[in-house]
Amino acid sequence: MQIKENIEALEKEYQEKLKNIKDLKQLQDIKTELLGKKGKITSLFKLLKEVPPEKKKEVGALINSVKAKFEDILKEFEKQLTEKELEEKLKKSKIDITLPGAWVSPGAPHPVTATLRYISDIFVSMGFKIEEGPEVELEEYNFDMLNIPKDHPAREMQDTFFINKKGYVLRTHTSPVQIRAMLKQKPPLAVIAPGKVYRKDLDPTHSPMFHQIEGLVVDENITFRDLKGILKIFLESVFGKNIPIRFRPSYFPFTEPSAEVDIGCTVCKGKGCRVCKNTGWLEILGCGMVDPNVFEAVGIDTEKYTGFAFGLGIERITMLKYQIPDIRLLFSNDMRFNLQFKGI
Amino acid sequence: MKVSYKWVKEFIENFDEDIETVVEKLNETGLESTYEKFGNYIPNLTTVKILSIEKHPEKDNLLVCRATDGSKEYQVITAAKNVKEGDIVVLAKEGAVINGIEIKPVKFGSLTSEGMFLSFEELGIEIPSEGLFILGKDAPIGVDASKLLDLGEDYIIELEITPNRGDALSVRGLAREIAAIFGKKRTEKLPVVSILQENIPEIQVETDKLNRYRAVIVENVKVNVSPLDIQLKLIKSGQKPINNIVDITNFILLQEGQPLHAFDLDKLEGEIHIRQASEGEKIVALDGNEYTLNKNDIVIADDKKAVAIAGIIGGDNTKVDENTKNVLLEAANFDPSSVRKTAKRLGISTDSSYRFERGVDIENLPNAQDKAIELISSTAGGRAVGESDVHINVYKPKQVKLREKQIKRVLGAEIPKEKCSELLNRLEIPTEIVEDGTLSEIPAFRAYDLEREIDLVEEVGRLTGFNNLEETYPSISTENFNYPDYFKLEEKIRKFFISNGLTEVLTYTFSSEEDHQALGLPKPDIEIINYILKSQSLMRNNLAVSLINTLKENIKYGSKDLSVFETGTVFFDDHEEYRIGILLTGKFIDGYTFSKEKQQLNTTEKWDFLKVKGLINSFFEYIGIKNLNVNLPQLQFLNKYEAVKFLKGNTELGYIGKIHPKTAKNLEIPEDTYIGEFYLKYVSRDLKEPDHKPYIYDLIKEKEEIVYNEIPKFPSVKRDLAFEAEEDFSVGTLLDEIPKTCKLIKKVKLFDVYFLGNGRKSIAVSVEFNAGDRSLTDEEVNQMVEDLVNKLNEKFGLKLRK
Ligand SMILES: [Zn+2]
Repeated sequence: MQIKENIEALEKEYQEKLKNIKDLKQLQDIKTELLGKKGKITSLFKLLKEVPPEKKKEVGALINSVKAKFEDILKEFEKQLTEKELEEKLKKSKIDITLPGAWVSPGAPHPVTATLRYISDIFVSMGFKIEEGPEVELEEYNFDMLNIPKDHPAREMQDTFFINKKGYVLRTHTSPVQIRAMLKQKPPLAVIAPGKVYRKDLDPTHSPMFHQIEGLVVDENITFRDLKGILKIFLESVFGKNIPIRFRPSYFPFTEPSAEVDIGCTVCKGKGCRVCKNTGWLEILGCGMVDPNVFEAVGIDTEKYTGFAFGLGIERITMLKYQIPDIRLLFSNDMRFNLQFKGI
Repeated sequence: MKVSYKWVKEFIENFDEDIETVVEKLNETGLESTYEKFGNYIPNLTTVKILSIEKHPEKDNLLVCRATDGSKEYQVITAAKNVKEGDIVVLAKEGAVINGIEIKPVKFGSLTSEGMFLSFEELGIEIPSEGLFILGKDAPIGVDASKLLDLGEDYIIELEITPNRGDALSVRGLAREIAAIFGKKRTEKLPVVSILQENIPEIQVETDKLNRYRAVIVENVKVNVSPLDIQLKLIKSGQKPINNIVDITNFILLQEGQPLHAFDLDKLEGEIHIRQASEGEKIVALDGNEYTLNKNDIVIADDKKAVAIAGIIGGDNTKVDENTKNVLLEAANFDPSSVRKTAKRLGISTDSSYRFERGVDIENLPNAQDKAIELISSTAGGRAVGESDVHINVYKPKQVKLREKQIKRVLGAEIPKEKCSELLNRLEIPTEIVEDGTLSEIPAFRAYDLEREIDLVEEVGRLTGFNNLEETYPSISTENFNYPDYFKLEEKIRKFFISNGLTEVLTYTFSSEEDHQALGLPKPDIEIINYILKSQSLMRNNLAVSLINTLKENIKYGSKDLSVFETGTVFFDDHEEYRIGILLTGKFIDGYTFSKEKQQLNTTEKWDFLKVKGLINSFFEYIGIKNLNVNLPQLQFLNKYEAVKFLKGNTELGYIGKIHPKTAKNLEIPEDTYIGEFYLKYVSRDLKEPDHKPYIYDLIKEKEEIVYNEIPKFPSVKRDLAFEAEEDFSVGTLLDEIPKTCKLIKKVKLFDVYFLGNGRKSIAVSVEFNAGDRSLTDEEVNQMVEDLVNKLNEKFGLKLRK
């Protein structure tokens, strides 16, 4: 049986060849060699003519089974090689995942605006409405209607920038927004007024331009104790529950009684340090009950209404929060400073 | 004001609280104060009397003194110039440690010094003074000098009063306050003086700025060193002792709060006049400076010349010196605001002006002056021979009522009228109980700040202690719990730019004329008259000036890339604006290059015009402003070929562009700097906002609500079309026009611009058609494309390229 031997030899030869196959190209060559039109298995069918008729069936079945066998083997090889080649291709274009990404990095918010926003949030959530006013302000609103008459020593507490526009100054505090709010709206009212203010002053803790937030609540039956309550909520939201708070009687022309509010030093926790000048306390804001003269100036009945007001410096709170030693850094716009505040 | 705690205690009966408690209580009740120990105890100091002084035989600048402590004699060599025979000084003996150095016998040439005479500074006392501390003649010798001077024994209280509390600016006033706080009794030893009427000063009052003027002539005084007690009290207040007459006036000012002035009577010519200064009148004051006065200033003058600036400072021409024999002692009360104006204009603040500005107790004037006369008599000899008291405005006490219900309304606490009365009486405010509260008679020392019911509420409140009031929480009547629209918009804008890589800056709103000139911008309207720096004397009328300064600073710090924005204020004569300023230069992604076989990568991104414009388009999209037009801005500092102005209809919303190379060169900033400003909001100075052109904020307010449109059920048909146009033809015009030509055109996208040469270019766009309710047939689309091409040809002369 010549043909049977041939088949066996062929099978043996190709089983061997397939062992050394490396890629899909070689596989394709083998496929053509065996199963192509002139392929070795295809040619076997041509030899079938010479096989005696009684053997034809047997040999034919043999060739078919060899063909099927190789087809299966080749398919399996093809699958494996395809996968291998894909893997190699992916591997080749592999990226070093530790390379820096190529998208724009976000900018940094300014710590003062961030703090201003943060403080506004607390009051807005308590139901305060935001009011604003111009920075070039009527002297009348900035001083006179706030019970700071001309030649009063209190006008000197705030070194004013005077301008070439008669009757106006650069506002020295956000308090004139109180006047604006009360002229526009009848009580009850609860407003805060954030914004820029100006004083002729420049040193590590004073800047000629800075930011304040002013607060005002006017209604029937508003008392000093209510003022304490609102400020306690505020200060605890900013500096943490149980922060020590102390009210010291003070003087502001537009409030009476007036007080300055201290919190326990956040740096030394009250033990005494450079930041608190060894007092254990940090002055944080000024406040008081709206002076009847202010109510009279805006036409609010002092026998019906009472109110409280408070004002605080945003820069001071920003500096405490981020431990910034010099107020001038806040206005330096030095990127080595600003970029430290990414993500706040 | 600094004063000795010991001194204050002399004025309170049976009082010995520790200093810490006293200062804490003062702060809690409204007098801001701190304290510190007076010096430190230094062992081995003694007091000695100088017996003789000789020049050092070998060393020119040294003196050889012999001094005694009463039992032992010392040879001490000193370089001090102010020492005389008979002076009592402090000797640091062997073993004393002065400024960290131990005193030992030291040889100067052939002679040995057995110790060292001390100055204030060497005693650890902060008094600006040269030379030795010469003690009063009454100081004992041979005693422990540290003890004698209270070093490390006494405390100094430093008081920083609010402008309404002038009454506390004295030992007497402070004692009154402390006595009230602790419920103690203030004590006072009243002076006993007899003033003869032999030589009565003649006073002429020629102004209405004077309330009272009392002058007393004291003859035959002996000017000398003050007694130790007075010296020590002045020293503790940080004042240098000068001579007994001057020291006594300063001492009384500190103790009583009443400024006094002593003139050398023999230097005065004729009568005393209290008058307005003449315009341009000059006076050399005790501080050695010459001041030029005007008609609003009040002076004390004799017949010939001004001898003092009223209530502020005495004149050099009539000052008391070591040869003075007779003095005229002035105690006056001037109008606070007149003193304030003059002091402010002349730029001087003295202990006297500081008190007059805050109001001095007119009724204590004779008491204080008599105490001074008593002290002069006992320490400088002399006789008071004549007095003249011109009392123009006699104090009439005001009655002020305090209702119990008002306390409740303001403080929120019930404080019975009995308690109020007790507290007010403790403050020496005579108060009686009436039906619904209390009735007080305001004493002269509180005349300047207690006038109304609310003032008494404060007095009761502060003595009760604000910290003792429990918190309550008002229910706030409010319309909403949200930010106003403007604040929401501003926040949205900040978030947009920060997420897009821009850092927020906060610049001063001040600027200079040069800043504006450099950009060819008009000089700002608002000028600061009393500016700190000329470079910060104008209120900017744009943000570009500030951002350019920011860039210049950062270049100094070594950074070339900057992407920043600010929402800030700019100023005009009749209004203000909030604007967004933007400055972009250099890289916005500072990346790296990467090469591998055929793969070439550069992750760095730099700002260029189209990226900058894209950022702004994206910004407007983000805040929901659509359908903007662009135009060329007319700004000298921009390169007009790479700058763009954004408009909504005819309203300009802002601009951005590349800086002009000439401006860049002048300002020494990079040429690839892009600057922009967008007009956010009008800020009115009037209560009612006047009509004005719309700003971005106004457009946001009027913005239409977004309403959902049904997603098309049928697919769109796309056609790519390339048009040939003149090189100068603007692509935007074409992109804007196409959708207007046919309702079924839903989208136009540019995908290629190609310059053909010969002054022509090709613009290729992809146009999307959709009918919404059905599929479009090829024929329909072909027809629409043909119509489109015809219309564009008619309008712009564009041709379709084959
Ligand atoms: Zn501290």
